[in-house]
Amino acid sequence: MANIIPVDEFITDEWYPGFKPKYGHSAWCTEPINTFKKEDEKRFWFLDFHWPKGLSPMGITFLEDGYSWSTQAAAQGLPLPPGKGIVQRLGGTHVYASEVPVTSEWEMGFRGARIEKNLPPFLENFPDIWKDRVWELDMGLEYFENYDSSGKSIQELGQNLVDARIFHKRAWEIHFEMMYPLLANYLGFYGVCGELNIDPGEISKFLQGYDTKILECDRGLWELTDKVKSDGISDLFESNEAENLKTVLDSDPRASSWMSLFNDFLQKYGHRTEGISDINLASWIEDPTSPLGTIKTFLMKEESHDFDAAQKASVEEREESIENARSSLTSEEQEKFDGALGACQHANFAWWNDEHNYYIDLRATIPMRKACLALGEAMGCENKDDTLFLFYPELMEVVNGSKSISDCKEMIKDRRDYYDHWEEKRPSMPKVLGFIPEEVADPIMIEIFGMHHHFFNAMKAEGQDVQTLTGVAASKGTITGKARVLHNAGELHKIEPGEILVCEATSPNWTPAFAKIAACVCDGGGTLTHASIISREYRIPCVVGVGLATSVINTGDEIEVDGTKGIVTVFKNQ
Amino acid sequence: MEYHFIIWVKDLDDNCVSLAGSKVARLGELKRMNLQVPDGFAVSTDAFKLFLKSNNLENKIADKIKLITNEDDLDQVKTISNRIRDIIEKTEVPKEISREVKNAYEELSFNCFDINLPTAVRSSATGEDSAESSFAGQFDTYLGVTGKKRLINALRKCWSSMFTARALSYRLKNGLSHEDSPMAVGVLELIHARVSGVAFSIHPVTGSKDRMVIEGNWGWGESVVQGVVTPDHIEVGKTDLRILEHQISNKKIVSAFDYSEGLVFERKMPKLFREAAILNDEEIIAICRTVKLIEKKYGYPVDVEWVINRNRKKNDLITIVQTRPETVHSQEDQNQASHKWDPVAYAKKYAFKS
Repeated sequence: MANIIPVDEFITDEWYPGFKPKYGHSAWCTEPINTFKKEDEKRFWFLDFHWPKGLSPMGITFLEDGYSWSTQAAAQGLPLPPGKGIVQRLGGTHVYASEVPVTSEWEMGFRGARIEKNLPPFLENFPDIWKDRVWELDMGLEYFENYDSSGKSIQELGQNLVDARIFHKRAWEIHFEMMYPLLANYLGFYGVCGELNIDPGEISKFLQGYDTKILECDRGLWELTDKVKSDGISDLFESNEAENLKTVLDSDPRASSWMSLFNDFLQKYGHRTEGISDINLASWIEDPTSPLGTIKTFLMKEESHDFDAAQKASVEEREESIENARSSLTSEEQEKFDGALGACQHANFAWWNDEHNYYIDLRATIPMRKACLALGEAMGCENKDDTLFLFYPELMEVVNGSKSISDCKEMIKDRRDYYDHWEEKRPSMPKVLGFIPEEVADPIMIEIFGMHHHFFNAMKAEGQDVQTLTGVAASKGTITGKARVLHNAGELHKIEPGEILVCEATSPNWTPAFAKIAACVCDGGGTLTHASIISREYRIPCVVGVGLATSVINTGDEIEVDGTKGIVTVFKNQ
Repeated sequence: MEYHFIIWVKDLDDNCVSLAGSKVARLGELKRMNLQVPDGFAVSTDAFKLFLKSNNLENKIADKIKLITNEDDLDQVKTISNRIRDIIEKTEVPKEISREVKNAYEELSFNCFDINLPTAVRSSATGEDSAESSFAGQFDTYLGVTGKKRLINALRKCWSSMFTARALSYRLKNGLSHEDSPMAVGVLELIHARVSGVAFSIHPVTGSKDRMVIEGNWGWGESVVQGVVTPDHIEVGKTDLRILEHQISNKKIVSAFDYSEGLVFERKMPKLFREAAILNDEEIIAICRTVKLIEKKYGYPVDVEWVINRNRKKNDLITIVQTRPETVHSQEDQNQASHKWDPVAYAKKYAFKS
C-alpha cells in the first residue's frame, strides 16, 4: 500500500446536499471539523468505527460538541503534552479522525510542566470527582428523561433542544476530562509492568472484576430471560421474529405480567441506544426490538449466564494474577508495583471505561433526539425523524420562524438519499486516508482506537494474500468457530450462540452479545478497548487491532482465534 | 632485583594485582574475608617477564609483531598470532622458574593430600578492569591439569594466550604493549564440582540493582561460561533473599572430569540429570549471601564463578573460584533506584511518548 492514500474522492465544500457551514456556526476549540480539502492528505486520517451507518446532519452536532470540542477542551485542560485533541473530516456521511498535534517544542514542555501539577490531584481525587460528575449527569438526565413535550409550543420545544444540546456537550466534556488522565495513568502502569517484566496479558486482569452499571443492565436482561422460562412464555419468543415481539407480547394476556416487568426494566435501563452517540438511533424505550431480540437469543442457550459465578471467577483470577506477579518481584519492585496498582485501582480506567457508557455514550444524545422528534411532530413533518436531516442552525431557523419546514421537504429527501447512499458505501470505504505514519501520539487514538504498530503494519500489507492475521492479544484462550461479520449493530441480536463476532469494533451497546459469542475479533482496538475488557469479563478469547478482519473474513468462514498470542487464522469458506 | 615467581593465595590481597593478576589476587582477598576459595598459588608476572627475556624470546615476538601491517586485518593478525603462540609454546621455561613451580605444585598436592592433584590453571591478567572485561574469557584456562610436566605446558599456553589475535589487535589499536600488562597465572586446586556456575549481584540484562541472578549447570563451570548449555536460571531479591524465579532448563551438555586423561571435557548430559534442578533453595541462598558479601566488600556490583563441592553439606560454604567487577551497569545512573510509583513520570514516559 502506498504511503499516501488520496482524499480526492471526498473533497467537497458541502457537508450534505444544500449545506455549507457559515464561519462560526458552531464553536470550536483548537481545530474545527470540516469536509476534506486536498491539503488534508498530508495528515493521517482513520475511518472511525463508532458510526458505521454514517451520521445525519443533526448527528454531526455530536462531532462538533462531543468529539472535536470535548477531546480538544480536555487535551487543552489537562493538558496533554503532545496533542491538542482529535479533529474530524467528513467522508460523505462517514467520520475520519486525526490528532491535532502540538508542534512547538516550547509548548510541549510548557504543557508537560502543567500536567505534572494537574495529574496527581486528579488521580488522588478521582472517586470524588467522578461522583460529582455523576451527580451532574444524573441531574441532567432526570430533567430530560422526564421532560413531557405534549402540549408544548414550538418555541418551548426549541428551547428544550437548545438545553439538550448544552447538556449533551457538557456530558462529553466530562467524558474526555475523565478519559485522558485515567488513560494516562493506566498507560503508566502498563509501562511499569513492562519494566518489571510482567506478562502484558496479565496486566488487564489486575483491574478486572469490578461491577459496573453496564453489567448491571446485562444481569437484568438475564433475569428477564429466566422469567420468560418460569412464566412459560418461551414459545412466544421462539415463534416470532424480534421485530414483531413487542406487538405479540403486548397483545397476549399470558405475557402481561412479564411485560410489566420488562417495562420497569426499560424505565431504568432503556435510555440507551444501539450505538454510541448517534441521534438517528432509537432508544430501547422507543423501540425495544434489540433487548427483546437479545432475550430471544439468550433463550437459545441452554443455561443462563451465571453472573455471580463469572464475577467471582473474575475477582479470583484478579487476586491470583496479582499475587503471581508480586511473587516474582523483589521487595523494591513490589513497592513500586503496589503503588502503581493501588493508584490504578483507585482511578480505574478499565472500570470507568465501562461504567461511563451508561451515563454518557449510550445515553447523553437521547435528549436531543427526543427534542428533535418532538419538534418534527409539532411541525407536522411527514416522517418522525425528518428534523434529524436538518443541521442544527437550520432547525433553529425553522423554530425562529425565519424558515418554513415545508420549504425543506425536498432537501430532506435528498439528504435521506445521500445518507442511504453512503451507508451502502461503508464496507468499501478506505480504512485510512492521507499520510500513513509509523505511529501517532494521542493515547486515545493508540489505545482505544488501536492505532498501534500492528494496525499500521496491516495497512501497509494490504493487497497481499493474508490468511493469518495478527493483532493485539486482548483476552486469552483459543477457539475455532464460524465467523459472523457485522458492519453495524443493527443485526447484533441475530448473532447465534457459539459464533465468532468479527467487526470493526464493539461499542457498549454490544455487550449483551458477549454472553453468546465464542470469541471476538476487531479491526481496531488495544488492550483497553471495549471489546477487550468485555471479552475478559465474559472470559472468551479476543484479538483486536487486526486491521483487516472485516475485509478478509466473511460471515460463515471458519476462523481460529488465538487470544493468547493475538493471532487469527482464516479458513476460507469457498 | 629480587624475583618472586610463586606467591600463595593465602599471602595475596588486592595490592598484589601487578604481581599475581587481578583474578588470583582477588581470591587472596576473599580468603581474608573467610570465604572459601581454592588453595593454590600464582606464578607471578616476574616469572612471565623473565621467561620473555630468556632465549631471545622478546625479540622474536617483537619481530613477528612488526610484520602486522594492518591491525584490523584479522586474518593477518591471526596468522602472526599463531606463529607467536607456537614459538612461545616451544620455548623452554627457565630452570629457576620451572623448579619453583614444580616444588610449589608438590607442596600444593601435599596440602590437599592428593598425590597427583588435578589443578585449574588460569590466566590472570594485570590490565585495568575495563581491559579485563574486554578480554573476559579470552585468556586461556585449563581445568584438571595433573602432574608437573602437564602443568608447565599449561603455564606456557596461558602465557601464550597473551598473544591471541584479539588481544594483539586490541593492544595495537590502543597503543599498548604486552609489557604494560604482563600475565600472571594461577595454579589452583581443582574443586570437585557437583554443580557450578556464575552469579551476578545485579541483573546483568536490565541492570536492576535489587535483583541477583544465578546461572549454573551440573559439573564444572566451563559449559556455562562458554555458553554451550542453556543453564538453569534463578533470580533472587537482594534485600530479602527471596527466590523470584527458578527456571529449570533442559541441559544437554556437561563439563565433566576425565580422571584417566586429567582433563575437564564436554560430554552429553546423562538423561536423568537433564531436567533436574541443579540447586535447592538452601544452596541458592548460600550463593547469594556470599555474592552479597563480596559486593559489599568491593562497593560495586560483581559477578562471580561459584562451585558447589561434591562433598558440600547443608550450611557449608560455597566455593568462589573467580570474581570481578560487573562493568556494564555498575556505572549507570542511580536514578533508577527510586522505588516509588510516580504517575506523572510514568505517564510522560509511556502515555506521551513523543
